[in-house]
Amino acid sequence: MNEFSIKSLITFRKTPLNLLVAVIGATLLASFVAGAVYFFLHGHHAFNVTRQHPWGLLISMYVFFVVSSTGLCIISSIGHVFGIQEFQQIGKRAIAGAIITLLSGFAVISLEIGHPIRMIIYNVLTPGLTSAIWWMGTLYGVYMVFIMIEFFFLAVKVSHKWSKIFGIGGLLAGLAAHSNLGAVFGFLISRPSANGVFYPVYFILSAMITGCYLIYIFYGFRYRNEYPAHVIPMLKKLNKILGMLLGVLIFFEAWKIITALYGSMPERAETILHVIQSPTFIFGEVFLGMLIPFLIILLSNAEAIKPMVYASLTGMVGIFFMRYDLVHDTLIYPMDTLKRSDYQLPPGFIDYFPSLAEFAIGFGGIGIAIFLFYIAEKVFNLDDNGHY
Amino acid sequence: MARFAMALDYKNCINCRACESACKQENGILLDKDHYRIWVGVKEIEGEFPNLSIASQAYYPSQCQHCDNAPCQQVCPTNATYYDQNGVVRINPEQCILCTYCINACPYDARYVDNRTITVDKCNFCADTRLANGETTTACQATCPTKVRIFGDLDDPNSEISQVLSKREYKQIKAGLGTKPKLFYLI
Amino acid sequence: MKVEVSRRRFLQGSIALTIAGGYAMSPSEILASAKAKASESGQAGRKKIATLCEMCVNKCAAFAYVEDGVVTKLDPNPYFPKSRNMLCPRGNAGVQALYDPDRLKYPLIRDGEKGSGKFKRVSWDEAYKYIGDKLAQILDEEHDNRSTVAFCAGEGVAEHTFKNFFTGFGSSHFLNHASLCLATTVSGYALTIGGYGSADLVNADYVIMAGANRAEAIVTPDTMDFFKRTIGRGAKLITVDPRFTNTAAKSDKWIPLKVGTDLAFVLALTYVAINEEIYNKQFVATSFNNFEAYKNHILSSGYTPEWAQKITGIPAQDIYEVARTFMSHAPRAIYYQGRRTTWSKNDFQLRRAQALFSALGGGVDVKGGICFGKNLPLIGHDVPSPIYDNAKSRIDKNEAAVVGGSGSWVGFRNMILEGRNPYPIRALFNYKHNPMSNMPNSRKTAEFLKKLDLVVTIDTMPSDTVMLSDVILPECTYLERTDPVKSFGGIEPAIAQRNKVVEPLFETKAVIDIMRGLTKNISKQLFAVTKKYDTEVQDAIEKDGEESVYGDFDLTKAFYESQEELNHHAVANYPDAVQALEEKGVYYPDMDKYFKKLNVNNYEYYPESKKAYSVKNGKLATPSGKVECKIDSLVSKGIDAMPLWKDEYLKEIPDGKFNFITGRHAQFTQSGSSNNKLLLSLVPTNYAWINKRVATKRGIKFGDLIEVSSKVGKTTIRAYPTEKIGQDTLFFVHGFGNASSDLTLAHDNGGNDANILEDIIEPMHGATCLHETIVEIRKV
Ligand SMILES: Nc1nc2c(c(=O)[nH]1)N[C@H]1C(S)=C(S)[C@@H](COP(=O)(O)OP(=O)(O)OC[C@H]3O[C@@H](n4cnc5c(=O)[nH]c(N)nc54)[C@H](O)[C@@H]3O)O[C@H]1N2
Ligand SMILES: Nc1nc2c(c(=O)[nH]1)N[C@H]1C(S)=C(S)[C@@H](COP(=O)(O)OP(=O)(O)OC[C@H]3O[C@@H](n4cnc5c(=O)[nH]c(N)nc54)[C@H](O)[C@@H]3O)O[C@H]1N2
Ligand code: SF4
Ligand code: SF4
Ligand code: SF4
Ligand code: SF4
Ligand code: SF4
Ligand SMILES: [Mo]
Repeated sequence: MNEFSIKSLITFRKTPLNLLVAVIGATLLASFVAGAVYFFLHGHHAFNVTRQHPWGLLISMYVFFVVSSTGLCIISSIGHVFGIQEFQQIGKRAIAGAIITLLSGFAVISLEIGHPIRMIIYNVLTPGLTSAIWWMGTLYGVYMVFIMIEFFFLAVKVSHKWSKIFGIGGLLAGLAAHSNLGAVFGFLISRPSANGVFYPVYFILSAMITGCYLIYIFYGFRYRNEYPAHVIPMLKKLNKILGMLLGVLIFFEAWKIITALYGSMPERAETILHVIQSPTFIFGEVFLGMLIPFLIILLSNAEAIKPMVYASLTGMVGIFFMRYDLVHDTLIYPMDTLKRSDYQLPPGFIDYFPSLAEFAIGFGGIGIAIFLFYIAEKVFNLDDNGHY
Repeated sequence: MARFAMALDYKNCINCRACESACKQENGILLDKDHYRIWVGVKEIEGEFPNLSIASQAYYPSQCQHCDNAPCQQVCPTNATYYDQNGVVRINPEQCILCTYCINACPYDARYVDNRTITVDKCNFCADTRLANGETTTACQATCPTKVRIFGDLDDPNSEISQVLSKREYKQIKAGLGTKPKLFYLI
Repeated sequence: MKVEVSRRRFLQGSIALTIAGGYAMSPSEILASAKAKASESGQAGRKKIATLCEMCVNKCAAFAYVEDGVVTKLDPNPYFPKSRNMLCPRGNAGVQALYDPDRLKYPLIRDGEKGSGKFKRVSWDEAYKYIGDKLAQILDEEHDNRSTVAFCAGEGVAEHTFKNFFTGFGSSHFLNHASLCLATTVSGYALTIGGYGSADLVNADYVIMAGANRAEAIVTPDTMDFFKRTIGRGAKLITVDPRFTNTAAKSDKWIPLKVGTDLAFVLALTYVAINEEIYNKQFVATSFNNFEAYKNHILSSGYTPEWAQKITGIPAQDIYEVARTFMSHAPRAIYYQGRRTTWSKNDFQLRRAQALFSALGGGVDVKGGICFGKNLPLIGHDVPSPIYDNAKSRIDKNEAAVVGGSGSWVGFRNMILEGRNPYPIRALFNYKHNPMSNMPNSRKTAEFLKKLDLVVTIDTMPSDTVMLSDVILPECTYLERTDPVKSFGGIEPAIAQRNKVVEPLFETKAVIDIMRGLTKNISKQLFAVTKKYDTEVQDAIEKDGEESVYGDFDLTKAFYESQEELNHHAVANYPDAVQALEEKGVYYPDMDKYFKKLNVNNYEYYPESKKAYSVKNGKLATPSGKVECKIDSLVSKGIDAMPLWKDEYLKEIPDGKFNFITGRHAQFTQSGSSNNKLLLSLVPTNYAWINKRVATKRGIKFGDLIEVSSKVGKTTIRAYPTEKIGQDTLFFVHGFGNASSDLTLAHDNGGNDANILEDIIEPMHGATCLHETIVEIRKV
């Protein structure tokens, strides 16, 4: 732990980059608060979700955050759970990141769930054991406890043994929770485009990718792109891992699309055909999220570090679109294609665009994450302290 | 103890929406957008005036299917959605956390968020407003001018619905999903 | 754990948070006052009360549930054979009419320019006094010509009560919906086969529905019988309509024809039947008068299907087929009479031709045909009908060949606007009627209302007509009053009664109570004017004394008794009727024995052997006792003795313009329900039907605002491009686009057809022709 005081909390080196991040963080944090207040005043009217499209940006952002958390947890475990030397150094920073992004996700989802307190009560009193949401929620609870204890043994009362034990526990809980989050979509028999094994596996895969991107961003920010010697091999290895993961993801997505289109199964084929024509998919997911980082890795023979920091930024934007599309694409096909009244057009693909309050809360979550990181950096020494 | 279901002589439906009106009044549904437990699906006519295909203009009166294998129930994290003793799929508003997972899981667009209780709502076969008072019909059935609906107990072989289903052909919507829907569209 | 969502909560939630024209009233206040009334009158607890719906003209039976004085639900009442255990969407929405925050609450007197919408709240006595003084002044100036005061009413169970006032008042001018609605078909059938009758759709095997949209324009029991018991049991249904309606969707065949050409279609059907000698020869031989003349006329005029094809646009082959199949199913074959038949100038002849064609199959007074049924008579109630010597006869009597007791509304209005009235018309009493919305050319109606010195309107809502009145008397809604018991004749006759469900809210009253109060206040005052000008009365007073003569002119007499007492008296001949009417709302002899529940959906009212299918014993209620082919008595009045086609009936629709037609859909009643929140949640507004290809060509998409204009006015409305209508026709549902800003929800909502319809009348009864207007459209 660092020595810290209120004074140390509000002082930081006023570099342009730091200032920029501070302004962005503060703005987002304020927007979260404003969105939350608006939501408390207006209830669900504040959101653009509807009967036909009941989930929106907030669910996407929740998924975005918990995917980040799981991803960081998995990547960090490469070092301190599986003992790969170069990766041990990222343990603390990654676990802190996992906790922070998880908390941000919880903050966002607590404003999406209508009755969060009731959830805590009835989750225990009348558990819905066939519900993927129940498992996902409960396992994320366990996961949070594990990684918090793990962090305690990493950063406060350093114990390699205990941190490893809780690290393993956290990793298992995180993997289980996260694949259950995939199952929240995969279990939807009502939505042929989402139903099946794809999402639980895809979630783990994309979590690992997210973890890699975030590690690049963290290190890039921490070292201002001037890396000490002990960091470089790790980041290069990460290059290879990420390249492989992206390759698998591209392969995966391609087959998902091909199988969905093959045979023109109604609903599923129409949905996917619509999806792959949408700009959020083409530019967001494919271009920003997969191709740019993948090409850089490919072209640099997995040696690029600085470019990968920037590519990770586009990668995270791409990951955001993946989360957004995941929710939106699942709900886009109307469950009833008949009109509800003579005087309307037949239902087509369902439109949804987030409301201002949803943007404020959803992206406001990033403000929470930045803020918590800032505190964490001040309070704890997140760098490797050579204890391994 | 019963297993309530609904058979629909849907070809008699004239799309008057008396059922929707009656349901709103009976069950105190808010008169807001998206608030409806029951609806009539309208298939827009095919063809060009004056050569229209009469058969292509069909009305499908619909509501919650009270699936015997209800996806909405399976996905509910708090068991707020439950089968009551009569096989009616119901929601306990005290337990509902408004995660709206069930809305996504329902293949029939039967559920919506009720702005009054701030929980999810849908058709409950008038269980609390009529069945609880000893009535044996639902509001939508009783009011229908052309008597499209036959509500009754599938477990009772003498009930009209059991009789009708044993005699007439019917179809079920999205039955392939394995939901075992309990709205039977009589052909 | 079981949570029962109470119904009470809904009422609080779902009543609009609006303020009625200046008189702030929140939903909770409305309910609070409803509950206060309940505890005053000991209505606490849950009750079930039998009533009759009055959301439209059909009068279906209902049960109302009341909890602590608040009506929570209306259920269909199974006892009534006419409504057969159903309530339509509007019937279900009656509760919202009762608790509509915009409803009229207090008597009001105009307090500003007419049409300014400014009124001041007054007491009932002030309102009565105002009316009395105004009337006395008018009658004094007009030397007791009682006909200078006109009366108009919409259809309803209590129309009769209002009419008693009219009768006592002694004016010749009564005007009601007939000339805006069904005058031509009622008289067309009556003069031809002796009655409008009721179509026995339960037993018919073949039905032609031309311009009657029973799936949407609900008429009981026809609507229920049609779809469940015609196609449901294999009968054939043919729909003839320029639009593809919900009725067409339920038909075996839909025949779109050019608007206004039905007469050519029916004449061609008749031609086929006669030419191929496939009509019911036996029935024609025994029951037709002047058949030879009609036969010669039809054949010699060359009304062949090929001829009709050119006029109607219906392929000749279809006409042959319909005529032949109709006759092969006869006598269980019906050319349905229709109801709103205010279409065009040939309406009367069209209905005659329909009746004759139907009768050619023999389907008159027989099972499966048009039946006249039985009536259950009620004991009448004596009301004074004094004779005023100075009262002049109707001004509109020569506007058409036969202007009956309900007048030619449009003819009457136009005479006054054009200054063709032989004597002044100074005042109008209006009961439950909204001529501003329901008469074509609303600009003229407004001008007419403004021209009058006194317009008294008895209504429940601040309608467009109410806003142009001088005195507004708020009636309570039908759920707050007992109305005159009514007998419904037919194949399965019954008597039904509307019972008061809850006490009237605010200061509203039932029309009978309004009439009692009004006559008490003004009867003597008006008699004084008569005494001054009426020499007959002066002589009589000299002879018998004033008190005795006044006895005949005492307007209060008709309203001495309460409605309940009057109803008891009316059914005194039927033992147990009073109790049945109170408990079940319905009574008919042997009901206990006959009435059976067959299953959850079906009831039996009469055993088959007791149904009144045939009642005439071969003698129809026409002058000759037979089907009248030729009515010579009308010729002198300029009406053809036999239906014939005239080229002037064909109208040109210039390129790019449209023939406008009007009508109903199932969720609203003319203008009367346009502010109903529940109904608006089903269908928020009206849309103009325009052919999809035409719309595309004009760049009009679904929901685009268009302006529809004619020679007489314009209105804006959203477009509904559809292939269900032809390229030269435009349609929208009637009753929307109200001008009254006190109708919070209805104000300016959708298109108003009264603004654009031209005010043309037909020659027989001076009924209005609503489908003759040519319109243009423009995207806005
Ligand atoms: N829901 C509902 N039901 C009602 C009413 C209501 O307001 N709402 N009102 C009640 C009253 S008062 C009445 S009078 C009846 C009216 O009942 P209907 O007369 O059945 O109904 P409308 O809709 O007025 O008109 C009938 C049809 O005529 C068609 N039409 C127009 N021009 C022509 C033509 O030239 N030839 C032919 N063949 N068809 C044509 C129109 O497209 C329309 O579909 O409904 C009663 N029932
Ligand atoms: N353009 C066009 N015009 C038409 C028609 C059309 O299709 N198109 N249809 C025609 C036909 S068929 C008819 S029958 C007429 C109908 O014409 P109206 O008889 O005028 O019918 P509504 O529009 O229903 O208006 C009824 C009025 O009565 C009031 N009211 C309702 N309940 C009560 C009550 O209990 N007591 C009192 N005192 N008032 C009450 C309502 O508020 C409303 O102002 O319109 C005709 N005019
Ligand atoms: S009440 Fe009956 S006829 Fe009317 S829309 Fe509902 S199901 Fe159809
Ligand atoms: S129809 Fe939908 S809401 Fe109803 S039981 Fe089935 S899944 Fe549940
Ligand atoms: S919204 Fe309510 S009923 Fe639906 S799944 Fe969630 S807790 Fe269950
Ligand atoms: S059964 Fe009851 S709750 Fe369900 S749709 Fe019908 S009226 Fe509404
Ligand atoms: S048809 Fe509908 S609105 Fe008319 S009386 Fe019957 S229930 Fe009432
Ligand atoms: Mo009418």
